[in-house]
Amino acid sequence: MVELGNFSPEERAAQEERLRKVWKTPGGWRYWTSVNNSEIGLWYGVTAFAFMLFAGALGLLMRAQLATPNNNLISAELYNQAFTLHGTVMMFLFAVPIFEAVAIFLLPSMLGARELPFPRLSAFGFWSFLLGGIFVCGSIFFNAAPNAGWFMYPPLATDKEYAGIGADIWLLGLSFIEVASIAAAVEIIVGIMKCRAPGMRINMMPMFAWYLLIVAGMILFAFPPLIAGDILFEMERMFDWPFFDVSRGGDPLLWQHLFWIFGHPEVYIIFLPAIALMAMIVPTFSQRPIVGYSWIVLAAVGTGFLSFGLWVHHMFTTGLPQISLAFFSAASEAVAIPTGVQIFVFIATMLAGRVIFSVPMLFGAGGLAIFTIGGLTGVMVALAPFDWQAHDTYFIVAHLHYVLIGGMFFPIVAGIYYYFPFVTGKKLSDAWGKVAFWLMFVGFNVGFFPMHFSGLRGMPRRIFTYPEEFGWDLFNLVSTIGAFIFAAGVLTFVIDIFRPKPKPETRNLNPWNAGTLEWTNDPDESWGMRSVPIITSRYPLWEQENLQADIEAGRFYLPDAKSGKRETLVTSVLDAEPIQCLRVGGVSYVPMISALALGGVFIALTFHWWIPTIICAVITFIAIIWWLWTGTAQIPEAEEVDVGLGQKLPVYVSGPASVGWWAMFITMVGDGTAFASLIFGYFFYWTVHDDFTAGAVGPGAFWPMVALVLFVIAWLLTIAARQLNEKGPSGCRAALVAGILVSIAACLAGLAGPYFHGMDPTSNVYPATVWVIVIWTVVHGAVGIIMQVYCLARSLADRMTPEHDQDICNVTLYWHFMAFTAVVTFAVLGLFPMVSR
Amino acid sequence: MKSFIPREVESLWTLFTAPTVWAIHFVGCYAAVAVYCAKAATLDFSFGTVRLALGGFTVVALAVIVLSAWLAWRQWGFGAGDPPHDEPTRKARTLFQGFATLLLSGLSFVAVLYMAIPLILIAECQR
Amino acid sequence: MATSLVSSCSGSHSTLDPAGPEAAKVAQLFYVMLAGGAVIWIGLVSVFIYAARKKHQHTEENAGRVILWGGAIIPSVILCALLSYGMWLMPAIRPWVPDDQSVRRIEVTGEQFWWRVRYLDEADGIMFETANEVRIPIGEPAHFSLKAADVIHSFWVPSLGGKMDMIPGRTNPLTLTADREGTYRGVCAEFCGESHALMAFTVRAVSPADHEAWLAERSASDPQDAEGLAVFLNNGCGACHAISGTAANGRIGPDLTAFGERGTLAAGTLPHTAEDIARFVAHPGEIKPGVKMPHFGMLPEDDIKKIAAFLKELR
Repeated sequence: MVELGNFSPEERAAQEERLRKVWKTPGGWRYWTSVNNSEIGLWYGVTAFAFMLFAGALGLLMRAQLATPNNNLISAELYNQAFTLHGTVMMFLFAVPIFEAVAIFLLPSMLGARELPFPRLSAFGFWSFLLGGIFVCGSIFFNAAPNAGWFMYPPLATDKEYAGIGADIWLLGLSFIEVASIAAAVEIIVGIMKCRAPGMRINMMPMFAWYLLIVAGMILFAFPPLIAGDILFEMERMFDWPFFDVSRGGDPLLWQHLFWIFGHPEVYIIFLPAIALMAMIVPTFSQRPIVGYSWIVLAAVGTGFLSFGLWVHHMFTTGLPQISLAFFSAASEAVAIPTGVQIFVFIATMLAGRVIFSVPMLFGAGGLAIFTIGGLTGVMVALAPFDWQAHDTYFIVAHLHYVLIGGMFFPIVAGIYYYFPFVTGKKLSDAWGKVAFWLMFVGFNVGFFPMHFSGLRGMPRRIFTYPEEFGWDLFNLVSTIGAFIFAAGVLTFVIDIFRPKPKPETRNLNPWNAGTLEWTNDPDESWGMRSVPIITSRYPLWEQENLQADIEAGRFYLPDAKSGKRETLVTSVLDAEPIQCLRVGGVSYVPMISALALGGVFIALTFHWWIPTIICAVITFIAIIWWLWTGTAQIPEAEEVDVGLGQKLPVYVSGPASVGWWAMFITMVGDGTAFASLIFGYFFYWTVHDDFTAGAVGPGAFWPMVALVLFVIAWLLTIAARQLNEKGPSGCRAALVAGILVSIAACLAGLAGPYFHGMDPTSNVYPATVWVIVIWTVVHGAVGIIMQVYCLARSLADRMTPEHDQDICNVTLYWHFMAFTAVVTFAVLGLFPMVSR
Repeated sequence: MKSFIPREVESLWTLFTAPTVWAIHFVGCYAAVAVYCAKAATLDFSFGTVRLALGGFTVVALAVIVLSAWLAWRQWGFGAGDPPHDEPTRKARTLFQGFATLLLSGLSFVAVLYMAIPLILIAECQR
Repeated sequence: MATSLVSSCSGSHSTLDPAGPEAAKVAQLFYVMLAGGAVIWIGLVSVFIYAARKKHQHTEENAGRVILWGGAIIPSVILCALLSYGMWLMPAIRPWVPDDQSVRRIEVTGEQFWWRVRYLDEADGIMFETANEVRIPIGEPAHFSLKAADVIHSFWVPSLGGKMDMIPGRTNPLTLTADREGTYRGVCAEFCGESHALMAFTVRAVSPADHEAWLAERSASDPQDAEGLAVFLNNGCGACHAISGTAANGRIGPDLTAFGERGTLAAGTLPHTAEDIARFVAHPGEIKPGVKMPHFGMLPEDDIKKIAAFLKELR
């Protein structure tokens, strides 16, 4: 056992002064340049919540229209925009971002870190989300909102006459937000794997962290297929490449596959973090550790995997072979098992504990009762024969709202009641909470339960009006009344949040007597943990004596900020042994500027304003290079710093030990998934056509093979540059120059195949597919060249030296993926047409 | 076998072995029937052959999952170290990994078994 | 905007009022699942309430057993049984129809926002075309070939069975059987544009003998109202609509042969009265937003009335 630090009150005051200065949130309008996880998390959460209220209002508008048969309160067009935006906003602008917000806000405190490893990336994600969200939501006020349903099936959504600018707003606005989600996933994975407090082994991690780790991993595999789909979709809309146009060999079903490969894991990406909140709340109010910790891990990992085997259950009526449907029925039933396990873990914990039934538990219990109904109807619709009847009816509308409101919204509200004191130091009102709960619970069930019946009695979803003679009118009237009661409950909750509340007289950081680490944090201080403790328990506040006092007395790691830089600990993945003192980015304009500029690119593209697009792209590029140049891989003033408790740790590490390497690895896994989706598209067209080339010429074998070989050489030169760098800069620089030249040649050779064979991407889907895959690879090649140039510049500026080689290590990692992408691309495009008919 | 695979693994990846086997099996089955049913006219073997092959594949997948479960069970000391595995020691951490891997193997086993049901009950490429 | 949509003779429209074996078996499946689900839900909520209110704490071992049995083993067994039931049902209700088996198919094409219906012979030749109404004989399977002309639609007759999407570029088969005579309503179940809500159709199930008689009679048509026909043709209606046996041979809009037999108007949107026909001819876009048919409100009121009367009586 290490000797804990001991400081006199004067020393402590001086330490606190320095920490306060380093972690200070700027005042005035510069407040918005803050990157602290507590600020970003809060902004993120409030913004997502505001979008939720907006989408909820659209829902009420729809319910008002459907209150009576043959109603003409709003037009068909407005109704269609309203339901499209309602679904889009709830899924993309509320359900996913709110969990990112909660994660960014809570994770560092739960894990005992001062900050997540890439605070500026979080800030970048927030600004992207805000801009993209306003762009998408604002469209309805100009009668330009997307109107083809939140899953945007072509050819309706590619029909420019029907789905005008709205479809572009949907595609580009959401692509932009997907980028933000992937950024959050990188942040969360690296944060959980590398930034835990010393001693917090993987069997000691808070349940929330386990769930979030799995969810962030799922984002990496779920969002990229949609990004790939968005690319194909936008290429069709903007340049008439016929990916979904049947008359030129396209197929609308490819979009459905790509959308739902994203769309079904998305449901669990939304659901798991909410259950994660319950896994924090239930032990606190049962006043005992969770029973079945390993079972939760089983449930989270199991759900994460199985959720990728469900996508076709959204396509049960598309006429695929029954055997294919049956496989997806099987996986859809299997996923109910881990979901059931999670519920029983909560029940078991309550059975073994003494339950205090507070407002958070009330919302949790209500959510559970609702979610179970949604789960049971989910088991029903997972069977293809029943789904043939239920699909696209109000039965599904009921099912999905039972799942999402019971499984996500109620737990989120429970979590807000639970964590409100953590954020503000004040509690929400129990009385208001109970009123809000009963209004929401009763309103929800009155509103949505009848939809099961209207659906079974034949009412399809997405209809702006209905006739009166099928017995749907009473059900719909009741649903509308329920929806407004539910809304009254939400309003009560919002009022409770915003009404002025007195500061409690006695300082109590842990009002619920919870056991997890986050409750040691003082909401009035922006440093997070006063000192980073050594963890020996899953519930340190219950089981580690005197922990709170020791943390506040600065007796653990990093009690000081002598360097004047923001520092946090990096620990090993399995056993959380301290390995590095990480310096994270501080207050900066650059994330905001790059996010706004990138947003400008997407918005200008929507309206086909080419010159503003280019200007914004250049600003984005400069801002990001500036960000990297001044903010990453900084050579420290000393190799090692004192982190307290008599331990010295390195500041600069490179390769797999560094967080940057992990971020690159994780990003490239996501990138590889998007690439795999494009390759899936290529083979998909092969299966749907007898002759997938439609008799058109291909790129030939020669140029693709040349490109393949050149990319491999460029990759080897990059590896050589890294190796040579260890011996001195000159060899590295020479290898980089050669690598740059070969990479340029490789990109040109890649384009040469389709170009010299005169492949016209608008003529048929085959040339379009070849072009899109080649362009994907060449763009990645161009990024690879920029990285090589960047390393060369860093080396010439002495910012990259034989000892400080993070840049070249990360770039080499990129090139591993690059080489893989190039080999697959050119082998498939060049050789597959020869072996297939 | 014992000499090749250390009893206590120092990696998080073993946790994912069994679900990965499920994933490979799932994608394999889906891709096989999707390609067969799309290209049946150009292939000279029957759907029965595909089912039989996938049946064999299922048995192999189940066997690999059982192996993963056995290794996990061994790491868990053949059931000797009961949960909650919450002591601050390396030992507790490896026991936890063993137990969690065992549970995931169980789930993956059931999930692969479910995949066999369609293979038994559906005999044609009908739509 | 429409004030009264759909006539009273559009028929039954509920999955829980089955009129054919597929719908009946699925309804039965639903009732089984509903009963099981209700038991599970009540059981789970009871255990939850007990766990929240009990006086004494249970041991961790016992609680762990609750997870093992309640969360893992029992659900695995129940789901396995349910999955087997469902997968056994699937080929049972939609059996394999080999390509070489010659059957008479009914080709239905979804268009924004109506249904083109073609009766095909054994060699897939077109016998005749109609729209928005399908007649099938009871007691024997009706084989549909489902197509889409513009965007994705979905063909669904709840009382007879599940839906099947109509996807551009694909032909999806669907077999439905009605086992009692009656009129069954169908709708488009996949969102297809502005008036997706106003795209319904009617299935009339009749005895096989009546059906054969109708098929034979339907091949010929003999409009009686020569004056109405002349107004119809003079105003160019025949450019988009066909009436067999006349000069009207347009293929863009619904075929109007024997229009007078139909129960509803504008794909199940309006009752089949002369007033409603006149209203639709004059202002189709006000009744069905986004419809492709142009407005004919500029025609003399008398002409519209004549057209309406002609169509109402057209056999």
